[in-house]
Amino acid sequence: MALFDIAVQILVVIAVANCVATLVFVGPDRIRAGRRYLRDNVVATWPSLVALVLFLVANSIIRDAGVDLSWLIGLNITGYIYAIEGQFVDFLQSMATPPVTAYFSAIYIYGYIFLLTFPVIAYALHDDSRPLRIVVLTYILNYGIGLVCYVVFIAYGPRNLLPAVESILYTNWPQSQLLTSTINSNTNAFPSLHASLSASVVLIAYRFRAVYPRWTPIATFLAISVAVSTMYLGIHWATDVLFGVPLGVFAAVGAVRIATPERQGWFWRLRSRFSETGYRRNH
Amino acid sequence: MGTPPQSLMAATVDRRAVLATLATGGATVTGGCMGRLRTIAGWESASQISLEIKTLPADADPYAIRIARQLALWLTEAGIDTTVTPMDGEELLRQVLLRNEYDLFVTRIPDRFRSPETLYSLLHSRYSESPGWQNPFGYTNLDVDDQLESQRRVTGDTRWRAVSRLQQTVARTQPFTVIAFPDDIRAARTNNYANWREVDMRSPFGYLRLSNDTGRDRETGSTTATPGPELRVVSTDHRPTENLNPLSVEFRRDGLVTGLLYDSLGFERTSESIEPWLAASWSFETSVEGIYATVRLRDDLTWHDGTAITADDVAFTYPFLADTSMGSIDTPGSDEDRDSPVPAPRFQGPVSLVETVRATGPRTVEFDFVDCTRRIARRAFTVPVLPKHVWRERTGSASVGGIEVGSATEALVTTNIPPVGSGALKFEEHTAGDKLVLEQYEDHFLSAATEESLPAGFAGKPTYERLSVNVAGSDTTAVEMVRRDEADVTGTAVGAETVPRIGRASDLELLVRRSESPFLVGYNTRRPPLTNPRFRNTIARLIDQSHLTQEAFEGYAAPAVSPLAATRWLPEDLEWTGESPVAPFLGTDGELDIDRVRDAFRDAGYQYNDDKLVETN
Repeated sequence: MALFDIAVQILVVIAVANCVATLVFVGPDRIRAGRRYLRDNVVATWPSLVALVLFLVANSIIRDAGVDLSWLIGLNITGYIYAIEGQFVDFLQSMATPPVTAYFSAIYIYGYIFLLTFPVIAYALHDDSRPLRIVVLTYILNYGIGLVCYVVFIAYGPRNLLPAVESILYTNWPQSQLLTSTINSNTNAFPSLHASLSASVVLIAYRFRAVYPRWTPIATFLAISVAVSTMYLGIHWATDVLFGVPLGVFAAVGAVRIATPERQGWFWRLRSRFSETGYRRNH
Repeated sequence: MGTPPQSLMAATVDRRAVLATLATGGATVTGGCMGRLRTIAGWESASQISLEIKTLPADADPYAIRIARQLALWLTEAGIDTTVTPMDGEELLRQVLLRNEYDLFVTRIPDRFRSPETLYSLLHSRYSESPGWQNPFGYTNLDVDDQLESQRRVTGDTRWRAVSRLQQTVARTQPFTVIAFPDDIRAARTNNYANWREVDMRSPFGYLRLSNDTGRDRETGSTTATPGPELRVVSTDHRPTENLNPLSVEFRRDGLVTGLLYDSLGFERTSESIEPWLAASWSFETSVEGIYATVRLRDDLTWHDGTAITADDVAFTYPFLADTSMGSIDTPGSDEDRDSPVPAPRFQGPVSLVETVRATGPRTVEFDFVDCTRRIARRAFTVPVLPKHVWRERTGSASVGGIEVGSATEALVTTNIPPVGSGALKFEEHTAGDKLVLEQYEDHFLSAATEESLPAGFAGKPTYERLSVNVAGSDTTAVEMVRRDEADVTGTAVGAETVPRIGRASDLELLVRRSESPFLVGYNTRRPPLTNPRFRNTIARLIDQSHLTQEAFEGYAAPAVSPLAATRWLPEDLEWTGESPVAPFLGTDGELDIDRVRDAFRDAGYQYNDDKLVETN
């Protein structure tokens, strides 16, 4: 089946990219040393990892129900988004050339998946489990908030509204739609999870830049490319991206707060109010 | 609608001035001043007219969104605040057909306009409150009602004149604006089936006639096409994988899949000839009271669950479609057992032809018709026959978790999976949103009957054992699946932009056929200012069908004025002559002439205020 073919193809490309990236950014010495930490890190992070996996599985099961619920109670904001930004995506596409299209198509599928998978592998090899936990928590927060938005807001991407905007990705690479339509519904454009997750990865890469210094600029470059690709390909509005980035920032900051032992901020103040003893014991 | 006085703008300004004076607190509020304020407040303020266009997203229908966007540009230029809201096909039909929550909609109409009778249920005012494709516009015009009635009763030139007048009135009052009749474009694999061009892929009967026999090759005896055990259809419509209820209007694009599952007594062979299908034969008689028909069913018919198909099922179907509650739902608050009928949102046109149906034997049914000709009466035989033992359990109020919700019956909301039908294909399995598989029904009369008892043109059972419907995200993906030999044909017509892709592939056949189902802009005539036929007529003049045919359909469509443009019923004065003969475009080549637009709206009784078209409310 075509869906199987493309899944295998992506799996191979991502695996190769991650191997190369691990060699380049982590380095042979730390890979060897990291094997020791890997077990400890997984042990320390497993509740978050299990939560993420459960969350993604549950999401795939209830997705159709979510779409039904969305049509029942959601607000169709496609027309308003167009009223705000007009032909911006059309303008972006007016600069299309075949090499640029090939680049952004690859970024949208491969670049994005790589950007999300590599930090998990890289931080799993690090001697502290905190970055890994933060990455996993960030993903959960992004998806969680994103899903609520998807139920509350119905938004089709520009390719579905503007006749001039071409569905570049699917026209040039029709099989990829088999994959994307399996993963998500075309009514879920607001906000852009591509943009928010990319923004989160960049923030985390910056915060832990001491761990993998060379990863930070590469992650930033990839993240910007991903955000632009969603608009260039006609999949997201600029508005979706503009709302996606703060969501990603919020998720990253929130994850750092949750995983930080100092336990300051509203979350821990709230929590300490409900469990005085637990708070005191740690201080 | 009366023309608002010219002093309206002045009145608005005056009131503002008065309010401003009051607000500054400098004015002495005397009785005289209050009286003046009251007088001024009696005049309503003017606000910009705003309209929302509901339509399908590009993934579901590339043409509809282009028409809607272009229409929005034209309306905006004319000073109307316009938004386009794309929505899922199911949701669009739910909002437009069931809840009448819309201003304008752009979509393709599922009816095939072959006979004037098709307009009966679409426009008769008796359906203005009915859900479904029965008069979704809320259009009420007594002249149109008369002409719709009389074309049922008369024949020959008299009928032709009634149908002409009908079309002229409709074109002038514009309950909808016909955009164009599109070409149905399909990609088909030539190495599996050979007669794609001969069969009608918009009809279930076309699918049943697919074979590797082209007729052309019969003399030479050579054919390269070998049908596989499975006919793989790729569709951009996910709804048949989720719901197989022939009554659920919001889940049916054209009723093709449910048409394969449920047989009707007769089938429409050509524009006005209906021939026996589930019926072995029928005979009509005319008496002083009207016409009636005796229908004999074929022998040994069974439903997909093995139960015999009897005259009882037929006698059940018609009253059931007219009232799916069968009188079981009482009107709330009434003392007596007065019933509020819950008609099915489909098939009301044909059902309305039938006065009574009686089973007079195990396989004989007698029909009494309303006042109409035999030719019209036969259209009643095109509705699907439903199994009584399944559907009589569904006459109660629909409920969620035991709680009754709304006014619908279970029959209207059930997904009807697995369906118990009578068609040549029966349900095998489905994955909601992805796939539906039908398999050959061995006990169908196409398999069992002798050749002479088969309807002409049918060679016997289908050449494939299974028919699968796979869902693709968009037209391009659908064509690509056919190209990669993952499907045999695109079941839903695809957009013109896929034509080069189909043309480039060597073993694909490009099937292009002028459709009988036009795209149209529908107006909700229940909502002002769309209640005003002059307003609708002026909106129609903002639409350049020729421009849309080139830009939206890339030439793969024919612009038209009347929904009957593809039939022999089109009067000469409604023929397309490069522009609309009744609502010519107010501009040239898609560019509006703003001065003429404003004059037209002013003539219709509307006003402009700062380049905005305003109404008083």
